[in-house]
Amino acid sequence: MNQNTSFKRYLKMDLLPTPWCPGCGNGIVLKTICQAFDELNLPKNGTVVVSGIGCSGRSAGYFDLDSVHTAHGRAIPVAEGIKYAIDALNVIVASGDGDLLGIGGNHLLHAIRRNTNITVVCYANETYGMTGGQVSPTTPHNIKTLTTPNGNPDYPLDVQFLFKHSGCYFARSTVYHLNHLKKCIVEALKFQGFSFVEARTMCIVNYGRRLGYKNSNEMLLHYKEFYKINDDAGELAPNEIGIIKTNTLIKS
Amino acid sequence: MPKQLLQGNQAIALAAEVAGLKFFAGYPITPASEIIHELVNKKHIKTLQMEDEIASINAVMGASLAGVKAMTATSGPGFSLMQESIGHAHMMEVPIVIVNVQRVGPSTGMPTLPAQGDVIQCIHGSHGDYFPIVFYPNSVAELYQYTIAAFNAAEESLSPVILLSDGYISHLYETITPHRDFEIKHRTSPPLGASNRHFTGLSHEGSIPKTSDIDNYRRLISRFQEKQQLTAQRYNYYEYLECGKETDILLISYGALSRVAYYFKNDFSLYRPIRMFPVVEEIKIIAPKYKRIIMMEMNTGQYVREIERLLRREIEFIPILGGRIDLQEIKQKLREEK
Ligand SMILES: Cc1ncc(C[n+]2csc(CCOP(=O)(O)OP(=O)(O)O)c2C)c(N)n1
Repeated sequence: MNQNTSFKRYLKMDLLPTPWCPGCGNGIVLKTICQAFDELNLPKNGTVVVSGIGCSGRSAGYFDLDSVHTAHGRAIPVAEGIKYAIDALNVIVASGDGDLLGIGGNHLLHAIRRNTNITVVCYANETYGMTGGQVSPTTPHNIKTLTTPNGNPDYPLDVQFLFKHSGCYFARSTVYHLNHLKKCIVEALKFQGFSFVEARTMCIVNYGRRLGYKNSNEMLLHYKEFYKINDDAGELAPNEIGIIKTNTLIKS
Repeated sequence: MPKQLLQGNQAIALAAEVAGLKFFAGYPITPASEIIHELVNKKHIKTLQMEDEIASINAVMGASLAGVKAMTATSGPGFSLMQESIGHAHMMEVPIVIVNVQRVGPSTGMPTLPAQGDVIQCIHGSHGDYFPIVFYPNSVAELYQYTIAAFNAAEESLSPVILLSDGYISHLYETITPHRDFEIKHRTSPPLGASNRHFTGLSHEGSIPKTSDIDNYRRLISRFQEKQQLTAQRYNYYEYLECGKETDILLISYGALSRVAYYFKNDFSLYRPIRMFPVVEEIKIIAPKYKRIIMMEMNTGQYVREIERLLRREIEFIPILGGRIDLQEIKQKLREEK
């Protein structure tokens, strides 16, 4: 176990606990982002975190840094405005899959196209947690949610393909694979250009519970058993996690 | 200072530069696009064409929080898209300037023709209570002057300030003297990356979200209201032209339409609000001198209600629906009123 607690300097410890339910994976993502900051020794003055709306959207307020809590879906354009205004700032977006891929999906497409030098960490919990557990852009096919009582008729968005030939950085990891998740975020922060980490995380109360998981530990064990690390792939299979540094097709 | 022949939108761009604009994000739309066309040629201003107006205003908010003066410009459809974020900018106290060059609505309407249909949207377009400062000039020289005022008011109030224009004024060419000796207000709050503040659209006390503290919420909104009123007082812009002849009629109009009103300056006294919101209170002193007040605007009666509410008296209203300003038509309608 990692006993190093210096990551806590990036958190407003006096504001804890967070509003997240017992068993929620968001705290693990939050902590891992801070550990990645710590590993790179990111200066607290000069680093800004931006979140959208949702359970995960509350992340920004817990960083002991200047932070912005945007409207639903708008974290990326706010972050881009910050970065294009003051290039010296490290700008990190921490927000949910509904926020970044659903309502804010168009902004993601264009941030990829612009290859803006910011890092996005997406809390991908396969649901709209804050609003009670509706279907989200990452909900798997056939899964029952509040708005898909007969099972999700659609298939989830495989985010990595948005990055194909983009020249940007994409990584997927889970809150079970702590060291791997941290590595994905560290590499993303080091990357010059747009970087995106899809952090698979669990929502037991408004999602997993309805799928038959008894507790969030069971969801964690599912991540452990289901996902295999493959960091050298050009493309990740559904059961793989790893880092993809995509190449641009068009060379300037 | 040499005179320059400028289009209204060019004057907005030039004034923004003089006011210290460093960041512009926008999405193409007629009749506002010339503003970005003009700005892309300015070396010290970062311009971005975003994927839509929602992205534009949010990027502008981010840039402003990062410490630089920022602006976006659009027309009705884009202004509608920005509404959620305008409320958000009020809640987070972000100084930005939003230009809305009005065209005929609702919806896509008549895309290049002028109108004044977005007046009430300026103050009620977003959800919740907020108190924007809004200017509406009526000439190229005024677009220049009040763009600078808009930037200053934004910095003073730490809020998004709206500069209304319309397809006529913005596409008008006039010779102006673009003075540079204006007082320019600078940012008083530190830029992002200097501290551990949290900016949120949630009700808050300082950096702490307060999602169920009702008293705190009420204090917050009252503080916003007072702050906006106080700042607005320093930008008390209106035009009042007393009629040379004896008259008991005051004619009120604003923006493009008010240029036609000058034609009647020998028949009526004229009043023109320039700071549209918060509504300039001087009209309360002027109005009692007149038995009748006639108002015309290019909508079905948006601002007349604001004036009526302030004066608590009835106003005769002439709607000149968007698309065309025709002197003969207006003469006819005024004759009918008389
Ligand atoms: C414009 C707008 N529409 C809807 C909502 C309601 N809303 C709040 S959070 C949320 C979903 C968030 O889902 P996600 O981003 O996946 O975050 P999670 O809560 O699962 O962490 C929605 C729809 C809102 N706040 N704003």
